[in-house]
Amino acid sequence: MVDNSHNQELEDLREAARPCFQCGICASSCPVFRVAPEMNPRMSVDSIITDGQVPAEGNEWLCAYCLMCEERCPMGVSLTEILMGIRNISSKEGKAPPDFVESAEALLARGCLSPTSNRSVKKRVDLGLPDLPQPDPEHVKLIFEVTGAYEVLEANRVAVKEEAE
Amino acid sequence: MTTRDPKDSSSESTKVEVVSTAPELRIGVFPCKCGKNIGAVVDIDSLAEYAKTLPGVVFVQVNRYTCADPGQREIEDAIKEHRLNRVIVASCSPTMHEDTFRKAVKAAGLNPYLCIMANIREHVSWVHRDDPDAATDKAKNLVAMAVARAATLEAQKEQDVPVTQAALVVGAGVAGMQAALDLADAGFKVYLVEREATIGGIMALLDKVFPQNDCSICILGPKMVDVAKHPNINLITMAEVETIAGYVGNFDVRVKQRARYVDFEKCTSCGDCVEVCPVDVPSRTDQSLTWQKAIQIPFPQAVPSSYFIDPKSCLGMDLIRCGKCIDRCEQEAIVSSDTDHYIDFEVGVIILATGFKPASPEKIPRLGWGRYPNVITSLEFERLINAAGPTEGNLVRPSDLTKPTSVAIAQCVGSRNIDTRSGCSNFCCAESVKCALLIKEHYPDTEVTIYYQDLRMHGKYFEDQYLKAREEGVKFIRGRVGEIQQYPKTKNLRVSVEDTTHNKLQLLEYDMVILSMGAEGQSGNFPLPISCTADSFYIESHPKLRPVDTSSAGVFICGGAESPKDIRDSVIQASAAAGRASIILQKGRYPIEALSARIMQDKCNRCGTCVKRCPYGAISEDGTGKFTVMGALCQACGTCAGDCPPDAIYMPNFTSEQIEAQIEIALAERPEEKIVAFACAFCSYRGSDLAGISRMQYPANARVVRSMCSGRYSTKFAQKAFELGAGAVLYSGCHLQTDCHFQTGNHWMVKREPRIRSWMKRNNIDDERFRVEWVSAGEGKKWQTIMSEMSEVTERHKKSQPKLKKPIAKPKVKSKPKAKPKSKTATKLKKTKSKSNSTKKNATTKKKTTGRK
Repeated sequence: MVDNSHNQELEDLREAARPCFQCGICASSCPVFRVAPEMNPRMSVDSIITDGQVPAEGNEWLCAYCLMCEERCPMGVSLTEILMGIRNISSKEGKAPPDFVESAEALLARGCLSPTSNRSVKKRVDLGLPDLPQPDPEHVKLIFEVTGAYEVLEANRVAVKEEAE
Repeated sequence: MTTRDPKDSSSESTKVEVVSTAPELRIGVFPCKCGKNIGAVVDIDSLAEYAKTLPGVVFVQVNRYTCADPGQREIEDAIKEHRLNRVIVASCSPTMHEDTFRKAVKAAGLNPYLCIMANIREHVSWVHRDDPDAATDKAKNLVAMAVARAATLEAQKEQDVPVTQAALVVGAGVAGMQAALDLADAGFKVYLVEREATIGGIMALLDKVFPQNDCSICILGPKMVDVAKHPNINLITMAEVETIAGYVGNFDVRVKQRARYVDFEKCTSCGDCVEVCPVDVPSRTDQSLTWQKAIQIPFPQAVPSSYFIDPKSCLGMDLIRCGKCIDRCEQEAIVSSDTDHYIDFEVGVIILATGFKPASPEKIPRLGWGRYPNVITSLEFERLINAAGPTEGNLVRPSDLTKPTSVAIAQCVGSRNIDTRSGCSNFCCAESVKCALLIKEHYPDTEVTIYYQDLRMHGKYFEDQYLKAREEGVKFIRGRVGEIQQYPKTKNLRVSVEDTTHNKLQLLEYDMVILSMGAEGQSGNFPLPISCTADSFYIESHPKLRPVDTSSAGVFICGGAESPKDIRDSVIQASAAAGRASIILQKGRYPIEALSARIMQDKCNRCGTCVKRCPYGAISEDGTGKFTVMGALCQACGTCAGDCPPDAIYMPNFTSEQIEAQIEIALAERPEEKIVAFACAFCSYRGSDLAGISRMQYPANARVVRSMCSGRYSTKFAQKAFELGAGAVLYSGCHLQTDCHFQTGNHWMVKREPRIRSWMKRNNIDDERFRVEWVSAGEGKKWQTIMSEMSEVTERHKKSQPKLKKPIAKPKVKSKPKAKPKSKTATKLKKTKSKSNSTKKNATTKKKTTGRK
């Protein structure tokens, strides 16, 4: 499962995390940490620095990407990049949470995550705006192919199936 | 900067005289065996025979240990007996024994600057042990290079300048006061210049000072009075230094003093005027926590003990607009006609004690200072807890003037943050623990919590204070405060912080929050070129060994201007600076760098590039377009000469002519195999010496050309070497960013690299044949690696050598046999002789032009 590109990605994360001196400003600014104490951005960065590996718990999937931690970090650490990197690595290992896998499946099937509502279509007509382009699953498939998202999705399908069994 | 220079105009002629009196070139070469160190590898006898054939050499003497007393005596005797006027010692590195031999030469009556060395130990015998033939060849070549350089060496007058027996101390905080008192007590006249209306600085605003928690003004007050009363101190308050001209020993200072509008000799500080003044302005002393009048005194113990009028807030000092204070003052001390004025004086040394300023909390909006009244800074706290402060020492919440029952102190505000100041501010941890103890002392029931990241209680007795605080029940929680919010009704504050020891979010309510503010630098706008760090603190000459000196001779730094520090450290550093300054003052004369750049006015095209290159502000324009070097300020790095477009700067003993002569000799035979390596005297050359001392072996094809600084290597040296067919060229200097002994020489050198590379591209010279490297004095191994790698490069390109697109600009010089330089130098010499009356500068120029014809 783990290949060289994985190691390189992890190495990049370690490089990005190195300036962190664990002051805790990120955690005290994090709106998710207030309601879900298991999601602590400081601990995620710490596991990259001290353990040198992606944390197994998968709490990073709770991040809401408000960027508050990154805005306030006194060392200029790009926490969103690190949290996203952790997600990328763990999803390649088939560790994406099932609801994220479901979303990806839906995107692949429908070409979009949330279809335009009738209300917004009507509003656009009222305002004289042109019709929105219809979502095309073929486009998404193309993107999946080019970016290698198919393989990531497949790895997670297998994992979900195994868990179900 | 204006020029007043003892060396530039007057002494130039004396120097030239020394050279022109030399009747003919009589070089003595002294090859040294250094026991077996050199003798076992290099064939010294063959080297000696070869040296005799070199142009201008009239005497050669081999010695077993030239540096020993008999060896030195032999040099002295030979100088007298054979009327030698140049001495070349072929032995160890010049960093090792150049001083020794120069002293010996001086003892024999010859100018010490006419003695140079050929390094055949560190650069030859120790690094080419396995190839004695190649080593001997290289040694011969190095001696020939030295002989070629020696031909145009110039005698230099070792000079000193008189020192004015007075000092300028800028800033009268605790550091400036200490420095002024020390110098004044030592008997020197001191001008102490202070921007504010009183002396005392930040320390005068504090309540108690750690770690003993003694009363700040009680210990500072008497010192302030000492300063005011000292017969040797001329205190100038409400003043700033406007301009400084001159150099060490002879600075001309102009100070601008603002109008005080109150005659401080008449003012009795009775305070009657304050009662009638109708204007209220926020109090500076009390950090805007209260009001003061337009006529004011900073605090009761102020020195000078006199009121002053703030002209910006005063309604007008006449009876039509206001003039109430004039009417009231029985002493008639108010001078409405007072104006700003200048004070001029001369000093020999300068001490900068301009201090830091407390970091600004406005830059950190998430902590709510300015929006939430109960968030205060540590300096505001000092005023609130101070018996002389706006609340007479009662700690109250600014929102409702009630006593706080719970206080949080947030550490590292304005420090350790790349957006404000990345460094630690040094004093704030101890300051916060002191604040906590003060609160506990006044109000034992008030809860105090300190939120810290790393509690740095590093000083003497600091740990005791930390222990005391814990015993008093102060809570310490590890975690930096993320944000502060206010409860709108109670004006209480909610502090959100992660307790990083327990990985838990804490959202706790406090009556008051104190922000432990760090320090911000404010150095750099002083009218002298002294380099500053990115966060505006002065940079010391050496961080460990010369911590209070600056790169400008005669200028010293101390206190908060150098870095954030507490009172004790400021006083220590101030005394150190005063001590260093008094060494210069006490001697009465100051020796200046004998070498200094000169501008050849006939070649100068008035572009002014040199002014920008000089890190010492030594080059100035006289108003008519003529540029001159102020000799006493020049440190002889040669960066100006390295970038001078018309090559109009004459850098004595490192002239373009001398360097090019060395290149020519180095490449006289089989140039395609050779590496011409330029190394600066302070880092790279010492690094190459270390490779020798460590016996690191590398190929024998490198020829090192030494210069004072990498800033001296102009683009044309590399071009010249490649035109002569050099296999590879190395420009090596001190490491970027800050290692350069001359501050910025290496920065200017690296800027020339693209120009050299594009020239190489145009001439079809492979990119890898030129390298720019940074080698420190400790990187012998790196030197060895570079030499080995570059030798491989020369190997690879040996065959491609004839393919040069533009073959050679001056083909005459290319395949010159060894004997040829001899005749060339000889003809040059004859011409010098015939021009003995003209100046040296002209002689050089003419020699060059004739050489090119």
